[in-house]
Amino acid sequence: MSRMEFRMQHSEFRTVVRLALGVALVAVLAIGDAFAQDAPPPPPRGRGAGAAGQAGPGGGRGRGGPEAGPIRRLPDGKPDLSGFYNGNGRGANYGLENHPTQGLTPGGQGIIVDPPDGKLPMQEWAKAELASRQTPARGYDDPTAHCIMAAGVPRAFYVPSPFFIMQTPTDVAVLFERMAWRRIPIDANRKHLPDNVRLWQGDSIGHWEGDTLVVDSTNFNGKPWLNEAGEITSHALHVVERFTPVNATTIMYRATLTDPIVYTRPFTIEVQLIRDPEGEMLEVACHEDNQDLQHMKDVKDAGTGLK
Amino acid sequence: MRGKILSVVAAVAFVLAAAPAIAHHSFAAEFDENKPIKLTGKVVEMRWSNPHAWIYLDVNNNGKTERWAFETGAANGLFRRGWRKEDLPAGTVLVIQGWQARNGSNTANAGSITFQDGKRLFAGSSNPNAERLLEGK
Repeated sequence: MSRMEFRMQHSEFRTVVRLALGVALVAVLAIGDAFAQDAPPPPPRGRGAGAAGQAGPGGGRGRGGPEAGPIRRLPDGKPDLSGFYNGNGRGANYGLENHPTQGLTPGGQGIIVDPPDGKLPMQEWAKAELASRQTPARGYDDPTAHCIMAAGVPRAFYVPSPFFIMQTPTDVAVLFERMAWRRIPIDANRKHLPDNVRLWQGDSIGHWEGDTLVVDSTNFNGKPWLNEAGEITSHALHVVERFTPVNATTIMYRATLTDPIVYTRPFTIEVQLIRDPEGEMLEVACHEDNQDLQHMKDVKDAGTGLK
Repeated sequence: MRGKILSVVAAVAFVLAAAPAIAHHSFAAEFDENKPIKLTGKVVEMRWSNPHAWIYLDVNNNGKTERWAFETGAANGLFRRGWRKEDLPAGTVLVIQGWQARNGSNTANAGSITFQDGKRLFAGSSNPNAERLLEGK
């Protein structure tokens, strides 16, 4: 195949992707309507949310510098968050705390802004479980290695993989290139799903506080890992995310995680989401040729005496 | 073809450091930092697949041909870095540095590839540490 032929195919592919994104959004919104309920949402419980424009630690501006222009807005005056983004995770996919590079595991600058020491306030049992997950034999247990669903909440916003935000006055949908999507209804009369419904990404409800989109999520199943390091959440997880646009290309993203089974107190992370006006979503069929899974299963079996 | 390959190398080399590595699993769990390898061979196939692309290399080991599989970044990540399907044809001679899989198979994570004329590419390794480790930084 010549380069021209390949690029023509790519052009057609992009058209297909655009159509697929549109269909996906319609499907997401339709599915969401089927779950619509009537009670008001729980009050926001976000901690330490910063004001619009407040810079975070190590917050590189990327494309979101002063030249980026003012916050984009929809006709109703609400910020327009839509577009193609990359999260500036600063190594959080390999540990939320500031940590050095160790062997093949990359270092990270740390994205925890509360508690002030930047440390995860883990309970003792969680420290032991984390140490176990960091042995090679446990690498197989990270659900993303199996290409299962999205990276989870909030991991999907700091993994090194782009995503596309679509927005209407009543819904925000996030399409993660690597896997899956997430729908956030903006509905002041909505309540969370019954407690016995447990989901990989939880059940999310959004509302606006000024220019900040606040998203309250519960009903998690406790299975996702927070990163490749194996940091932990349980089914008791409650996440309050705050999407605060700083300018036309940067969203300050904060998430406060409350999980009394795993942690001794809530903690808050912060990363920037950088919009790339030229970026486009590509197809990722994650399980197409997932040879890693067998390799990691071999290591797990060897580590547990099964092989 | 050689010119085409080198033009791609030159065009994309500067963006590699900034481009995020795309992976879905822990490198340290699958590959062994204590098993660095450096092999020379001919490309049998460049497979554009997910969640990682693979370079299959035939390596002459004392007269016996061994086939090795080198994991790179995901196909979408390689595409964004400027790689195209025709840029690494079968028969291309490469030196590939990386780390062998912990399961002991002829499988490795590709840290860098070097063409016969010495051009070196940190070519979409799924390991974001590859350049630092290979350069001893």
